[in-house]
Amino acid sequence: MNILTQLVLSGMALGMIYAVIAFGYQSTFATSGTLNFGQGEALMLGAMTGLSLTGEIMGGPYLNYWLMVPVVLVIGSLQGLVVEFLAVRPALRIHSEFGWIMSTIALGIIFRNVAENVWGRDDVPFPSPLPTTPVHILGANILPMELGVMVGALLLMGLMELFNRRTLYGKAVVATSSDRGAAGLMGIDTRAVIAFSYALSSLTAAFAGVLIAPITLTGASMGSVLGLKAFAVAIIGGLTSGMGAVVGGLILGIAETTTGFYFSTGYKDVPGLILLLLILAWKPNGLFGRAAVQKF
Amino acid sequence: MLEIEGLEAGYGPVRVLHGISLKVPKGRVVTLIGANGAGKSTTLRAVSGMIQPTAGQVRLAGKNITGLPAHRVAQAGLAHSPEGRRIFPNQSVRDNLILGAYTRLTFGHSRPRGDISGDFERALDLFPRLRERQYQLAGTLSGGEQQMLAMARALMLNPDVLLLDEPSLGLAPVLVEEVFHIIRRLKSEGITMLLVEQFAHAALAVADYGFVMENGRIVLEGSATELQRDEQVKSAYLGH
Amino acid sequence: MGCLVARRFKSFEGVRRVKFRGSWLWWGMALLGLALLPREINEYYIHQGVLIAIYAILLFGLDVVVGYTGEVSLAHGALFGIGAYTAGILSTKTAWPFLATLPASMAVTAFFGGVLALPALRVRGPYLAMVTLAFGTIAQILINEMDFLTNGPLGISLQKPDLWGHALEESEYYYVVLAIFFLTGFLIHRLLISRFGRAFEALHGSPVAADCMGVSVYRYKVLAFVVSAAIAGLAGSLFSFNELFIAPNSFNFELTITFLLALIMGGRKSRLGPVLGAAIVVLLPNILDDIQLFRWLAHGVMLGVLGLFLWRGWKQGWNHWKSWIIPGIGALALEISSHRLQDMTDWRLTIFGALILFVVYYLQNGIVGWLRQGKPAVTEADFPLSGEGAVQPVELERRSVAQTTPGPLLQVSHVVMSFGGLRALNDLSCELAPGQILGLIGPNGSGKSTLMNVLTGLYVPTSGEVRFKGQRISGKSPTRIALRGLARTFQNLQLFGDMTVLENVLIGLNHRYRSGMTETLLHLPRFVREEKAARARARVLLDFVGLAGEASREARHLPYGQQRLLEIARALALDPDLLLLDEPAAGLTSAEIERLIAVLHKIKGQGLALILIEHHMDVVMSVSDQVMVLDSGRCIASGLPHEVRHDAAVIKAYLGGGEEAQHAGN
Repeated sequence: MNILTQLVLSGMALGMIYAVIAFGYQSTFATSGTLNFGQGEALMLGAMTGLSLTGEIMGGPYLNYWLMVPVVLVIGSLQGLVVEFLAVRPALRIHSEFGWIMSTIALGIIFRNVAENVWGRDDVPFPSPLPTTPVHILGANILPMELGVMVGALLLMGLMELFNRRTLYGKAVVATSSDRGAAGLMGIDTRAVIAFSYALSSLTAAFAGVLIAPITLTGASMGSVLGLKAFAVAIIGGLTSGMGAVVGGLILGIAETTTGFYFSTGYKDVPGLILLLLILAWKPNGLFGRAAVQKF
Repeated sequence: MLEIEGLEAGYGPVRVLHGISLKVPKGRVVTLIGANGAGKSTTLRAVSGMIQPTAGQVRLAGKNITGLPAHRVAQAGLAHSPEGRRIFPNQSVRDNLILGAYTRLTFGHSRPRGDISGDFERALDLFPRLRERQYQLAGTLSGGEQQMLAMARALMLNPDVLLLDEPSLGLAPVLVEEVFHIIRRLKSEGITMLLVEQFAHAALAVADYGFVMENGRIVLEGSATELQRDEQVKSAYLGH
Repeated sequence: MGCLVARRFKSFEGVRRVKFRGSWLWWGMALLGLALLPREINEYYIHQGVLIAIYAILLFGLDVVVGYTGEVSLAHGALFGIGAYTAGILSTKTAWPFLATLPASMAVTAFFGGVLALPALRVRGPYLAMVTLAFGTIAQILINEMDFLTNGPLGISLQKPDLWGHALEESEYYYVVLAIFFLTGFLIHRLLISRFGRAFEALHGSPVAADCMGVSVYRYKVLAFVVSAAIAGLAGSLFSFNELFIAPNSFNFELTITFLLALIMGGRKSRLGPVLGAAIVVLLPNILDDIQLFRWLAHGVMLGVLGLFLWRGWKQGWNHWKSWIIPGIGALALEISSHRLQDMTDWRLTIFGALILFVVYYLQNGIVGWLRQGKPAVTEADFPLSGEGAVQPVELERRSVAQTTPGPLLQVSHVVMSFGGLRALNDLSCELAPGQILGLIGPNGSGKSTLMNVLTGLYVPTSGEVRFKGQRISGKSPTRIALRGLARTFQNLQLFGDMTVLENVLIGLNHRYRSGMTETLLHLPRFVREEKAARARARVLLDFVGLAGEASREARHLPYGQQRLLEIARALALDPDLLLLDEPAAGLTSAEIERLIAVLHKIKGQGLALILIEHHMDVVMSVSDQVMVLDSGRCIASGLPHEVRHDAAVIKAYLGGGEEAQHAGN
C-alpha cells in the first residue's frame, strides 16, 4: 500500500496549496463580498516573477529561493492593489456585481497574456531549493519540496490566522466583514481595508505560486485551473471558514492525485470541478460555512 | 457642540429628511422623539456619515463634517451607537471595545495600553456585566448586554458627542431601567448626547431639551419639561 | 396566414416591438445587401462573413442568459464546442446529413444547458459564474481526453456540408447560414418580447418578487439556459461546417471571453448588438494584424481621449480631472505599445481584456445602448389600446375559492420562526376570514415582516403551520403559494426596475397564460388572444391604482409613491384572495398617502382580504376591520381598531410607553 500512502502525501501537499489560494478568496470575500476571478493569474505571476529572480529565464539567477520569496510577496501584494483599484473599486462604487465579475476576469486575461508575451507560452521547470532526491516516510517516497510546501502553507495560514486574531488591523478586517457600516462608525476606513484584503489575497496566491512551482511546471497558463480548483476548495470549506479551507484542500488534493494515478492524468482536474458543481448545487454555503439569513 | 442645519437625506429615490435643523450644546442631553418611521434614525445616520446627506450642513465643534465618510466623522470625535446595536458578533467583548477605540490606536497595537487602558477599565466599571464576559464572543451576549456593549464601545472613542439610537429597543423592563440609569450617569459625567427614542416619556425624563419629528421634519421643540407638559406631545407620544 | 396574424398582432406588442417595427426597413435592406454581398467580395471575406453570422447567432442566445437573466455565463465557449463536436461526430462517424445534425446538436447542447442550470436553484451571481467556468473547463478536458469519440487533440476534419446531394460551396453556405441567422434572430426576438422574455428579465430585476408573482425563478432560469445552450449548439454546428476542421483548443476560455466581449460591447438586450459585437470581434484580429492600421487607431484613441477631456473640461469645469487619469494612462499605453511592438497578434487577449474593462466602465450598455441614448422614451401613441378613454368600473377578479371553502381564509397556528437563537416569531396564531382586513402593527423588530415572509413561503417556519383556503402552505415554495392566490408587496420595493410599468403588471399576469413556447414563437391564435387579454387586463389594473398614464415608463423612473402603487397593481394581477401589504405608506408624502388610502378603500370595496403592515396609524385605523399588535414575535393584543388603540399594553409597548420600565409588555 505504499503507493496509496504516497498518493495521499502528494495529495496533501497539493491540497495545502489549494487551501492557501482559498484563503486568498476568503480574504477578499470577507471584506467586500467580491472574489478575484483572476486569482489563478496572481499565482502564476508570483511563480513567474519568482522564476525570473531565481532561474535563468531572465538572465538570472539574481537571488536564491529564500531571498526571492519576500520580494515575490511584495510584488504579489502590489498586484492585488492594482486589481482592487482597477477592477473592484469602480464596480463597488456603482454597485455592479456584473462589473466586478467581468473586470476581474478581464484583468486576469490581461495578466496571462502579458505573461505569455514576456515569458513565452511554454511550461518550464522551476529549480527546487531543496534536494530532489526523495525521502522515505511511512514507506512512501516523497520529495523534500512536497514537505516544504506543507510546512510553508501551514506557516502562512497560521500567520494569517494570527494576524487576523491578534493585530488591530486583523480585528478591523473581521469587523469590516461582519458589519461594514458599524466598522465605519468605529473609525475604520473600510475602503482601505478592502484594498488591503486584495493585497493580502494576491500575496497568498503569489506565495502559493512559488511554493507549488518547484513540484510542477511553471508557465503562463498554470494559474487558471489552479484558481478554479482553489475556488472549489473555498466553496467546499465555506467562504467564511479557515479550517474548512484546509479540510477542503486536503479532500481535493488527495482526490486529485488518486484520480490521476488510477484513471489518467488527463482527468486529474475533473474530480475537483465536479465536486465544485455538486457542492454548489447541494450545499452552497459549504460544509463549514454558516447560512446567512436573507432579508426581504 | 453639534449643529445641524437644513439636513436632507434619504435612501435611493426616497427622501426621508426634509430639512432638519437642531443643536446639541456641550454637556447637554438632547432627545429626538417621534413615531416609528419619522426619520429619527435617518437623521443620526446622515450625521455620522452612514448615509450621504443630499443637502444641509453638519458641524461638530465648529468643524464642518457634512458628507464625510463615517470613519472620518469618527476620527473627528463623534460616536454613534446605531439602531439595532450592530456589535461585532464574531469577536470577543474585549475586541469590540478595542475596536471602539480604533481611532485612538496606531497600527499594530492590539491590546489596550497607554491612555486607552484607563478608558477600558472605566467602561468595564460602568458596565460590570461586561467585565465578567469580556472574553466571551459578543454574539453570545443577551440583548441587554449587547446594548451595554454597544454603548461602551461608543464611549471608547472618547467622543465629543455621543449619538444613541434607540438604546431601549427590544429590552426587558429591568434592563431598560438600567440603560437609562447609565445614560443619566453619563450625563452627570458631562458627556454630550443626542438620544433617539421611541419611548418619549423616558427620553424626556433624562434629557435637557427635546425635538419632535414627524414625516422627516421637526414639528416641535422645547425644553424637556415643556414638552412633557405639551398637550400635543402627550396625546401623540406619551399615550395619556 | 401567419403573415396575417403577425399584422394583426403588431398593434399591441409594446415597446420593443415598436422599436423593431421601426427598424423593419433597415433589417430588410440589410438582408438585401447581405444577399448581394458574395458577388462583390472574395472568398476570404465571405468566410469571415459566415463567421460573423455564426457568432451573432450564438450571441442571440448568450444574450438570453447574460442580458435578460443577468447571469454571467463562462460556459458558452464550451457549449459552442459541444455543438461543433456533435455535428462533427455525427457527420463523420455516422454520416448524418448536414441538416439533421443541426437539430441534433441543439438537442445535445440544450441537455447540457439544463445540467448547467441545475445548481442555479441555489446559487447565482459569482457562484453561478464559477459553476459555468467549471463546466466549461470539464467540457474542454473531456473533449480532449475522450479520443475514441473526438479524436482527442488531433481534431476532426469534416466534409463540406451537403444539401440534397449537393456539396455547398463557401458562397452557397453563406446563404444557408444567413437564412438561419435571420430565422434565429426573428424567433429569439419573438421569444424575448413575449412573456418568456419578460420572465427572464424579471429574474434579474428581483428574483424574490418574481417568485412571489408566481414566476418560478428556478424554472425560468433553467429554461433560459436551455434555450441559450441550444442556440449555442446550433452556432457550433454551423461553425464546424464552416471551418471543416475542429480541435479541442478552438473552444477554450479565450473563446468564451471573446463572446462575452462581443455581447457587452455590441449591447445587451438587443438584436442589433450581437451583430455589431460579432462583427467587431471577428474583424478586430484583422486590424491587429495590420500594425500600420493599429498605429492609426492608437493615434485616434489618443486624440479622442484628449479632445473629450478638453471639451468636457471646457464645458463642465476641470474638477473632474481625476476621473480622466485611467483613460489617459490607457490611451498613452496604447500609443506607446503600438510603436514599440511590431506585431499585435500576440497581444490580442490583452486588447480584448482592456476592451472589456473599457466597456464595463464607460460603455455599460454597449454600442447599441450608446446609440439609443437621448432618444425619447416610447410614447403612449405606441399603445393603441390605451386610447380606450373612459374606463368602466373595475372589477377585481378573484379565484372564488374563498366563498366555497368553509372556515377561515388564512389560519396561522403556533408558528415559531427562529434564526439561530433569536425567535423572531414566538408561537404566533391568528385567523383571517375572507374579505377581512387585518392591520398588523408593532415596534421595529417585532416580527411583522418575518410573518409576511413566512406566509409567502420565503421562510419556512421552524414549527407550526399556516393554512390558506384550507390547505397547508407552510413549506411550499413562494411560487406555489402565490399561484394559490396569495399576493404581496415589499417593504423595500422589489419592482422590476428596467421593465416598463405595464410589463411589471404583465409579470403578475403570467399565471393566466396557457399557451406554450411553440405557440408563442409561431404567434398561434391562442397566444395572440391571451397576450391581448393580458395587456388589456394590465391596463385595467394600472387604471385601478391610477397609473394608466405611466404604462410605458420604466418602473425605476417613476416617483417613489407611484412605485408603491405599481407594486400593488402588480400584486393584484395575481387575482389574489389575500393581499399582503408591507408598509405601503413608508416614505410617502401626505398627498401620496391619501391616494394610497383611496386605493386601499377601493380594494376593500371589492371584498378582497388584506393584511396591512403599517406604521402610519391613520392608514391602519381607517382601513382595518381588525388590528393585531405584535411585540417580540408574539401577539400582545388584537381586536377592533379603536379597542386596540386604547389597550393599555399596546400603548406601553408601541404607541409610546409611559414609565420607562413599563415597556415591552412581556
